[in-house]
Amino acid sequence: MITAERKPIAEIKEMIAACKKVLVVGCGSCVAECAAGGEKEVGLLSSALRMDAKASGKDLEIREMTLDRQCVYEFIDQLTDVIDQYDIVLSLACGAGVQAVAEVFPKVPIVPALNTTFLGETKEAGLWIENCRGCGDCKLGFFAAVCPVTRCAKGLFNGPCGGSRTDRCEVDPDVPCAWQLIISRLEATGRLDLLRKVHPPADWSKQQGKGPRKISREDQRA
Amino acid sequence: MDKKSGDLNIAIFFCRQLDPDQDVNRRTLEKEMGERIRFFPLPCSGRIDSLHLMRALEAGADKVYLVTCPEGACHYREGNLRAKKRIAYAQSLIQEISLDRDRLELVVTAPGKRLTIDELARELLSRDDKGAKA
Repeated sequence: MITAERKPIAEIKEMIAACKKVLVVGCGSCVAECAAGGEKEVGLLSSALRMDAKASGKDLEIREMTLDRQCVYEFIDQLTDVIDQYDIVLSLACGAGVQAVAEVFPKVPIVPALNTTFLGETKEAGLWIENCRGCGDCKLGFFAAVCPVTRCAKGLFNGPCGGSRTDRCEVDPDVPCAWQLIISRLEATGRLDLLRKVHPPADWSKQQGKGPRKISREDQRA
Repeated sequence: MDKKSGDLNIAIFFCRQLDPDQDVNRRTLEKEMGERIRFFPLPCSGRIDSLHLMRALEAGADKVYLVTCPEGACHYREGNLRAKKRIAYAQSLIQEISLDRDRLELVVTAPGKRLTIDELARELLSRDDKGAKA
């Protein structure tokens, strides 16, 4: 899941300052799960912006909409009949969603209401943790499904640093030592022999250095 | 909020476990005050959402109260603790738009002091009156 957090309202107000008609569009997928950009958050932000405009005597019309996904054309198309009636779209999607909407409607300003943060997991209600860097070269199979690139503060591939105390990371005691988890889980599943493999440094060219990445699959194309 | 306290529009969200006869009791005050007071009974104060509070303000409430059971006495164990978090979020949101965070107020009822919802509302209203006169 892609996680995000709302920008400060002052920053949002600055982006829409010149506009009288604003379409606030949420996304019902990842950012709804992390309580940043779903239907409810669209309502909260819109209410706040309307009250703020009223208090400052500004004429502001806001319409609220939430798409199932803002990163897929079939859902973005739901904006086609309404988008021309607005000066600007305030998107509560992740960065990918904001750009996808802007791609479909190049003549309408689209601005983000969220800061996209990381790929993560809902650990418990109200708590999301980063556990994937999207490095493009997944090695979870060797590490008992614990990513050392993301969850080890030092990103170590070949064993623990030795600095952990009572199973906690020495960099941040709130975080469990990733290597402690890896070893415990490998032991529990009888796969400690996997630790004999020496891993070369990560090939970061699969993540960055060549511009935006893409995945193209012929079997999925129309 | 420039209005005098007697002219304020009030919204009261409350846990209906507080007063088994709330349906009758709140109507007495509703008849008396008309549209200036709106009651929103909740199955538990934990059912409140920050959005309810924002919508109440947006709809014209000058003051919104969220009334919960005493701490440790929630019928559903933790509902009133959740209510506290929801109102805190809404308060931080309205602060961002320079509204007074006290426009949203959490009222945790005192243990052992059982008031009907209309009595409780009258207490809140008279407290606002005193505050305005002070």
